[in-house]
Amino acid sequence: MKTKSIILLIFLAMLLLAAAVFRLLITRDVDGSLLFELPLDKYFIYRLVPMSAALIVGSALGVSGMGLQVLLRNPLASPWILGLSSGAGLGVMATMYAEHTFEASFFGGQSLGAVVGALFSLFLVFSLSRRRGGIDPMTMVLVGVVISVLCGAGIMIFQHLVPMGLRGSFSTWLMGSLPEVESWLRLGILGLLVLIGIFLIALWGPTLDAACLSDDEAKSVGVDLAKIRRRLFLTSSMLAAIGVILAGPIAFVGLIAPHGARLLMRCSHRTLTIATALVGALLLLVADDIRQLIDFGTGRLPIGIVTSIIGGLVFLILLLRGRGRV
Amino acid sequence: MRLRLADVTVRYGSRNAVREVNATINGGKVVVLLGPNASGKTTLLRTIAGLQIPSSGLVELDGANITKLKPHDRASRLAWVPSVAEVSSSFSLRRVVELGRYALGPSRQRVEDALAKVDLLNRSETLWYEASAGMRQRTAIARALAQRTPGGMLVLDEPTSALDLRHLRMVGDLLRQCASEGDIVVAAVHNIPFALDIGDEVLVLREGQLVLAGATGAVLTPGSLGDVFGVDLAWAADDAGNRHLVQP
Repeated sequence: MKTKSIILLIFLAMLLLAAAVFRLLITRDVDGSLLFELPLDKYFIYRLVPMSAALIVGSALGVSGMGLQVLLRNPLASPWILGLSSGAGLGVMATMYAEHTFEASFFGGQSLGAVVGALFSLFLVFSLSRRRGGIDPMTMVLVGVVISVLCGAGIMIFQHLVPMGLRGSFSTWLMGSLPEVESWLRLGILGLLVLIGIFLIALWGPTLDAACLSDDEAKSVGVDLAKIRRRLFLTSSMLAAIGVILAGPIAFVGLIAPHGARLLMRCSHRTLTIATALVGALLLLVADDIRQLIDFGTGRLPIGIVTSIIGGLVFLILLLRGRGRV
Repeated sequence: MRLRLADVTVRYGSRNAVREVNATINGGKVVVLLGPNASGKTTLLRTIAGLQIPSSGLVELDGANITKLKPHDRASRLAWVPSVAEVSSSFSLRRVVELGRYALGPSRQRVEDALAKVDLLNRSETLWYEASAGMRQRTAIARALAQRTPGGMLVLDEPTSALDLRHLRMVGDLLRQCASEGDIVVAAVHNIPFALDIGDEVLVLREGQLVLAGATGAVLTPGSLGDVFGVDLAWAADDAGNRHLVQP
């Protein structure tokens, strides 16, 4: 790893630490004024949990997006484009609807629903994209968009079916939000899975570099393309599903974080994976910090709205500058 | 090293892109592949390089079925240069050349040598998307040179289509040098004088079929080429008495 890359990674880690400390300190008083102080011990957990969730979700979505962009050789690829996030969303919606209809809690609840939904989308996209024994990246994008649209329609159907009173919680979930109450065991397991996913993709970094050549060239230098595509697709899907399980549909982080990391450093995918994880976590933490600062008198904004505004603007700037390259 | 093509046929749907091609090529030779557009040159080259599985027939490299070779094993025996190289990342030209060593282990010396041979050593930090078509083509050739094992095989699809005269000569000399070190060099080209210049042997395809094969000087005549390409050709001598194919 080059010295410049190491310095940039340390710089990113320090920014992340600063954003995390800021998140722990910032709060609103009952009269709506902003306070910068550590909360009482009994309230500390309500800041520590969303901060930890932001780290896990941001890094998971960022690295998932990077993996998919390499997999598809498409700078616009993200868990959303491939229908993974909307599949997970549909699973969550179906679980919420079933729990409401049968007035019961199911084993695994919405988490299981998200995993099943993501895996179902994954299976559909994967099996419908196969051509001549391999996966065709362009077909995969098109199939992903179709699956995403169909899952979106499914989500709207569930929204339509539930009573008016429940539509609010459906809508809130759809906008994306970081949990303030979550078991440490669940956070720990999901965080560990994200770390494993990031480690694996970083480990495959040199192969990801070579996979940036055309199919024929990549094969000729010794890349087993079918194998790396399978691995990337599965790992990226797992990371995207974890993001949805913890925070619902969070837009743009998976798209913007890899581009942000590439703008900061030109390096191999091994280093880039670590940088993308840091940028993704930083993006989500900063978005969470920003929403603490905004007060419309109607409660804090869902974080999905903040990431959409930041991500959309950054993405537009990237496009206009012509820097949207993988 | 010995390459053997036995009744190689490649079908795309109901269309035969390559039909029952038979040939044997020994190491130390430059073999040029000629033919009109859509005659099956690229398909045949990809099949030779193990990138396309033939619908029927067999491609053997030293007795081993090329399609059965493990990716690492294939990378150590042959290198491929496409007609248009693609890189979907903002890598420098040097980084692209380094990728040639993916399966074989990094070698700074091999990368430096390869860059120097294609006249890119001073431009190696240029980013891929900022490079000209000619620079990209030379980079792809350098990547193959960095990967190449002497005595192996180099398969090139129109490797000189974007090159100026100086670099055309440079690449021609490189291919001859590789052959002199025992490589099998198979290259599809459209430039007939270049083919005459570098080729020991020639394979001529028309509508997927091998219609001419043999020593370059014997096979490439105005009559045979005129028949394949559907144009009138003739020999013309320059002041030094060298013969050139020209269109009267």
